[in-house]
Amino acid sequence: MKKFVILALALCVMVGSLSAIDLQTAKWDAIVAAAKAEGSVTFYAWYFPDYFKEAAADFEKMYGVKANVIIGDQTANFNKAIAEKDMSTGTIDVMIVGGQWVKTTTDLNLFFGPIKNIFPDSAVLAPSLWEVQEGVLVKGYLAPFHRNQTGILYDPQRVSNPPQTWAELNAWIDAHPKEFGFNDPSKGGSGQSFVHTVIAQTTGGLEKYKGDSDVVPSKVANWNIAWKWFTDRMDKLTITVSNNDSIIRMNGGEISMTVAWDDNVKDMISKGNLFKRAKMYIPTMGLAGGGDTMGVLKNAKNKAAALLWINFIQSKEQQLKKFNMVGAYPARTDMTVEGTLLSEADRQKNAIAWFPAAYKNYMINEFVKNVLMK
Amino acid sequence: MAGLSQAKPRSLLDIMNRRRLYGLLTTFFIVVQLIWIGTPIVMTVLWSLVNPDYPWSFPSMFPEKLSWAQWVYVFKYTNIIRALETSYAIAPCAVLLSFLLSLPTAYVLGRKKIPGKKFFMMIVLLPIIMPGMVVALFLSRVFQAFGLAQSFLGLVLAHTLMGLPYMIRVLTTSFEAIPQDIIDAAENLGANTFVKIRDIFLPMVRPGLLAGMVFAFTTSIEEFNLTFIIGTPTFETIPTILYSFLGYNFIRTNASVVALIMMIPNIVMLFAVERFLKSDYLSASLGKL
Repeated sequence: MKKFVILALALCVMVGSLSAIDLQTAKWDAIVAAAKAEGSVTFYAWYFPDYFKEAAADFEKMYGVKANVIIGDQTANFNKAIAEKDMSTGTIDVMIVGGQWVKTTTDLNLFFGPIKNIFPDSAVLAPSLWEVQEGVLVKGYLAPFHRNQTGILYDPQRVSNPPQTWAELNAWIDAHPKEFGFNDPSKGGSGQSFVHTVIAQTTGGLEKYKGDSDVVPSKVANWNIAWKWFTDRMDKLTITVSNNDSIIRMNGGEISMTVAWDDNVKDMISKGNLFKRAKMYIPTMGLAGGGDTMGVLKNAKNKAAALLWINFIQSKEQQLKKFNMVGAYPARTDMTVEGTLLSEADRQKNAIAWFPAAYKNYMINEFVKNVLMK
Repeated sequence: MAGLSQAKPRSLLDIMNRRRLYGLLTTFFIVVQLIWIGTPIVMTVLWSLVNPDYPWSFPSMFPEKLSWAQWVYVFKYTNIIRALETSYAIAPCAVLLSFLLSLPTAYVLGRKKIPGKKFFMMIVLLPIIMPGMVVALFLSRVFQAFGLAQSFLGLVLAHTLMGLPYMIRVLTTSFEAIPQDIIDAAENLGANTFVKIRDIFLPMVRPGLLAGMVFAFTTSIEEFNLTFIIGTPTFETIPTILYSFLGYNFIRTNASVVALIMMIPNIVMLFAVERFLKSDYLSASLGKL
């Protein structure tokens, strides 16, 4: 009996080692074959249930691999991934990584990789997003699957001449108290983007932060000017609790102008949560953008299938389908789409890059301390 | 006597005015209650029926056009049917297990004089005092170690844990409220333990038991954190779907649909047990409720 058990165990190890391939060096065809052998993939997201459900059906039809899509909540998804971090095999194979959690998850070394060079089409996918996501160095561990951009969203029935420059925005806010909104930066990226722009405008630009991996105290010494800008206008600004809350409050008429993500706005319009007359632009003073990525968990059971799923979502057909269904701007640079909320000229001219992640984290904490708690 | 004889007799007008005042006050409070409770429900229903092509926006007081599109969306693009089946399979099991576990505990806490009783009463509240996600994260480690994660039994145990505090607290109060005289009288008349349980304890704690069951059931139906961490992806419940629309990515129209799907069976159940939720335990024991 003992001999039989040892023999069975040895056989299992042998079969396991035969079927396991080195995903980082294997040819793409071998990865596809391995994915088919795995048979399924479990994917966690927190938005676009409509698109991902259809994509899962298309994926299964094309490869015969079942995609189990779980649409949860952003925080809950990451809490679950972190809770399972020390398990030899987790229950999540691949998940969306948003700007809010990219630093934490990268610091925790949660993802398998680097995966950039595994994909046949990696060169045509937003090159900067492969390296940096909202100021965090991701070094090819996280795969871009759509790009998004923050801009100013407004109600054209109430705003006839939206501000472009910093001076114009100041004047507009003074003339329309409480009508301009942005979310608490600890609760969403569009609010972070606005505070980022305020820091850039009031404390001497963003150039000086380039390349820093830690906060340099002398460079943030004058950020009190930015905090003063907010505290001086607390009775004129509306601070909301999330990206979507800003849009919802505009739909309800409480505010007439807000900072928002373009893909978020498109999704809210398509679901009847925001009026169709809404307009959006990137002001000349600049607002940051980025994109969301997908990461394969280090302890994923179906790594090859997870890679195949990412590659499938990155394909031209799926990028176009995603844009048509939910308005998410493609991550691919070799295709163009029509009917975007933000013009291509706006993106080229006025979109700005985030300062490094260390400053972003510092910005969020200091905003809470010096503005919200004042 | 003199004081009584000097009391002014109430005129018919006084009585009529007082009745009118009572009537007005009653109507006022009914209207306030209806607005207080009814408005969110009406708003939820209206938001769930918003036609995506005609968003409900400022300055419109009501949606321009209604449609079932949001309901179709939820049923088409989420696993709501699977979630409904799972939720309503787990909840009764969790309620039953909560009842079986809490009955002896509540009896001891309610009827026996034991040292550290107040401490125990506080300890049983811990699962609901601690933030749900914290409980879920720590419990998931234990469940993983015992092979209970991703299993139906694991979810029932997790939901039981969240229902127990309500069940124990309500049942303990019910046991405490049983007059000792009745138990003594029954003993004098020769009632044995079984008869006492059947004819005194169970009928008298029935209202508390039903209240505890309602709490445990609704807690199970609304439980998100434990289910999400311990149960998904194998199991999804209604709140796991609801949170995808209500959490970070708040979509009011879809969230309204899922909230109504979750709410309607609970309201039906509350109406069904409402008549038992009386505090008159003596009448209850005599079967006169």
